Amino acid sequence: MRTLTVFCVAVSMLLIVSAMSPANAAGDNGLVAFRVGKVITFDSDDRVINNAVVLVRDGRIEAIERARDFDIPDEAKVVEKPQAWLTPGLVELHNHTAGSLGDLNDLVYLTNPGLRTLETVVPETENVKRARAGGVTTALLIPGSGTNLTGFGTIVKFDGPGVDDMVVRSPGSLKIAQAGNPERYWYGVGRTMMNYNTRRTMEQALEYHQRWQAWEDGELDERPLFDPIYDDFRGLYEREYIASVHTQMYQVVMTTIDMLAEHLDVHTVIAHGTFDAWKVAPLVLEAGMDQVQAVVGPRQFHLDNTQRKIHGVAARWWQGGVTELGINTDAPVVPQEELTYQAAMACWYGWTPYEALRGITKVPAEAMLMGNQIGTIEVGKDADFSIWTGDPIDPRSANLMTVINGRIVYDADDERLF
Amino acid sequence: MSPLKRRLMLLLWCLIAALAMPAPLALAGGGERSISILAGMVAESDSDDPKEEPESDPADEEGAPEKEVDPDGESDEDRDRYLAITGGQVHTVSGPILDEVTILTKDGVIEEIGRHVQIPDEAERIDAAGYRVYPGLVAVDSFGIVGRDPVEDTTDVYSLTATAALAGGITTTVSGTTAAKVKLGTVDELVVKEDLFENLRYTTSNPRGRRDLRQAFDRILEYLREVEAHERREARGLESEEPDDQWIRGRNERYLKLLQGELTALASADTAHEILQLCELAEDYGIQIVISGAREGWTVAPQMSRAGLKAIVTPRTRVDRDERLLRPNGSSIENAAILHEHGVPVAIVPRRSGISFGGLAGRDLMHLPMEAAFGVRGGLSNKAAIRSITIDAARILGIDHRVGSIEVGKDADFIITDGDLMHYMTHVRWTVVDGRIMYDKMEESLFDHIRPDGDRDAPPPDDHWPRRLGDEW
Repeated sequence: MRTLTVFCVAVSMLLIVSAMSPANAAGDNGLVAFRVGKVITFDSDDRVINNAVVLVRDGRIEAIERARDFDIPDEAKVVEKPQAWLTPGLVELHNHTAGSLGDLNDLVYLTNPGLRTLETVVPETENVKRARAGGVTTALLIPGSGTNLTGFGTIVKFDGPGVDDMVVRSPGSLKIAQAGNPERYWYGVGRTMMNYNTRRTMEQALEYHQRWQAWEDGELDERPLFDPIYDDFRGLYEREYIASVHTQMYQVVMTTIDMLAEHLDVHTVIAHGTFDAWKVAPLVLEAGMDQVQAVVGPRQFHLDNTQRKIHGVAARWWQGGVTELGINTDAPVVPQEELTYQAAMACWYGWTPYEALRGITKVPAEAMLMGNQIGTIEVGKDADFSIWTGDPIDPRSANLMTVINGRIVYDADDERLF
Repeated sequence: MSPLKRRLMLLLWCLIAALAMPAPLALAGGGERSISILAGMVAESDSDDPKEEPESDPADEEGAPEKEVDPDGESDEDRDRYLAITGGQVHTVSGPILDEVTILTKDGVIEEIGRHVQIPDEAERIDAAGYRVYPGLVAVDSFGIVGRDPVEDTTDVYSLTATAALAGGITTTVSGTTAAKVKLGTVDELVVKEDLFENLRYTTSNPRGRRDLRQAFDRILEYLREVEAHERREARGLESEEPDDQWIRGRNERYLKLLQGELTALASADTAHEILQLCELAEDYGIQIVISGAREGWTVAPQMSRAGLKAIVTPRTRVDRDERLLRPNGSSIENAAILHEHGVPVAIVPRRSGISFGGLAGRDLMHLPMEAAFGVRGGLSNKAAIRSITIDAARILGIDHRVGSIEVGKDADFIITDGDLMHYMTHVRWTVVDGRIMYDKMEESLFDHIRPDGDRDAPPPDDHWPRRLGDEW
């Protein structure tokens, strides 16, 4: 009874908060025109348009045109940044700061199916504000790697002011920590136990999913029992969302590809891929980049002691043929607002700027199966972008403005945060 | 000492050395030159033994050995050592940017800069055409790159960290309160200046310490007045007793130096309150104070400027605003720019003052220019950002007469880069310290595979697999 009361209070508060959310920055008609010096679209033609206008209506992109070919409608509110670069809102695939950091891990069992980071999302924190200041608009909030399976992630936008304004999709991913942290869970746990136990949990969930599938297909007479522990896995096996995997070092990543991508056939995203993990690039290509993707970080280089060489992690994945490649910060390991700087470092260590920018916008958006909605500047997509004083990857460039769903959520003219 | 006299002295020394020492030992002194080749490749050091070179090279035996190999043991060190850097775009930092000029260095000092420089035949050369030449970078705070207390006895001259520091362009660092050069293979003339600072702990959490410090200062000032009075009376022939100076020992002696301007104080302060207290201290006693941290410096920049404070800052410092306070507070990306605008000399350091090989990139001394780049993000000019890691940093340490810019007479410390120092893809191609090439990207394995000679499409090096897996996998 008490829990029910608490729940009701929480829900009503949520409703109140969401009712308070302000209208779009646009005029009453919801129409805003952003007049900028350069638009990097990452559309299918990889268009880069100089002196352009991006027209936004009701939170979606309505037109992208060269300024001289386009008459801005009179009723539109105009944002003039004629020298600035407009890029798709940055997308972070590996974030822990959109929620309460104190609830990073619930270290209850070695695998904790059924848990969701949705419960930990906190709006309008300093971390959220800084993320906006860094031009980041969307993030996958995932639990930590304290156990092998810490629960389901949430795709959030750094919008506000309420939780509902933030959450885009929940579950947004299943977080699995293959190895290299969960060993600390309890005395004596090693890779034998961890891999056995993770596989067992995953297979039990698969069995649950198959039982429901059979019932839905009429192959089973008796309706299966609903089990909240395994129900969230159904979307994973339906490929509605991904497994984002804490996996690094080539042996561990081999296990990941073998167990998750090959054996269990789930869409797998390598969410670290660091140290010498690039050596498994051939296996990624073999499994297909629509099955396995690499969004690497926060470590951007690896010192190979046997060669006395420092390798750029992203550069080596790229050179290995993995061309659907992204970058992450693992915020707060690297502050969320420094996502572009992670790309800069990937470039110093051998990658190239255009691909690196693509690796913090379009690639992670597609990797979290949100490619049809965010990640590029295309007509019909969400009006999520950031506007920079220059090359966004250059740490000397500052973000002037962040726009989410057509709403200006950060304006450096009001309060400069980064 | 005139150059001629210096040469004569050197010759004399050389003679004495040759007579007094057994030949092999005297030769060993000549190992200096091979050391620049060593550049951290310890494994190959054996073959570089200078003793073996003349014996194994038949050309030397038959040719003109007197000049190349002096049997009396005249080592390289005794000859003038020249290095010429030709064709590069020279960013002097203290002056203009010069296109395609030659820098000639002699014995570790910049001898000449210009278009028509006569380069001696024996000079080592770097063809820097297409590259940019900057002064070596100065890291005003470092950990683990050189040794500590005393630097010359505890430095690992073959350490990976030092190699990485040189690859990051750093030629001068501070360890403890000593400024030292970063060198591989030698501890010769490592120390630039000792006793850079007197560390002051003048913090809000230590009111008693603040009071004690002021009392000590007052007492010393009184002593100085007594000395002055005593001298005046003596000069007039009046009877006078010399003031007691027995108590001016240890800490008090240091304070005396501070008050007389012979020593600079270094104090860590972050909040506006702490900084203002140090401003007051500097103004009350006329002492030189360098503030490290200075997180809220942007809120009190005029006061800092008036008090003559200098600042060591980290642009990326991130502390959220305390909403309970009415005044502006917390960190600001504009900190360095605002301080610079108000005339406060600024040196920039990254948050982590060592070099880590853990894989988190761009947060330590390996990428010092990138921390300055965040200063540019906050409004600092490119020029001022470069100054904050070269000449202004040197000025704060009081060693700007030797390092921090490219000028005749200064130490021959350069970095030669393949692009704008402040750009995120720029690599150091060569690092020169005291006229010796200490880092050569294409000779040192660490980064030679990343855009070798600017080639973005160069194939990656072969993967190294643990032997047990064989060639198959």
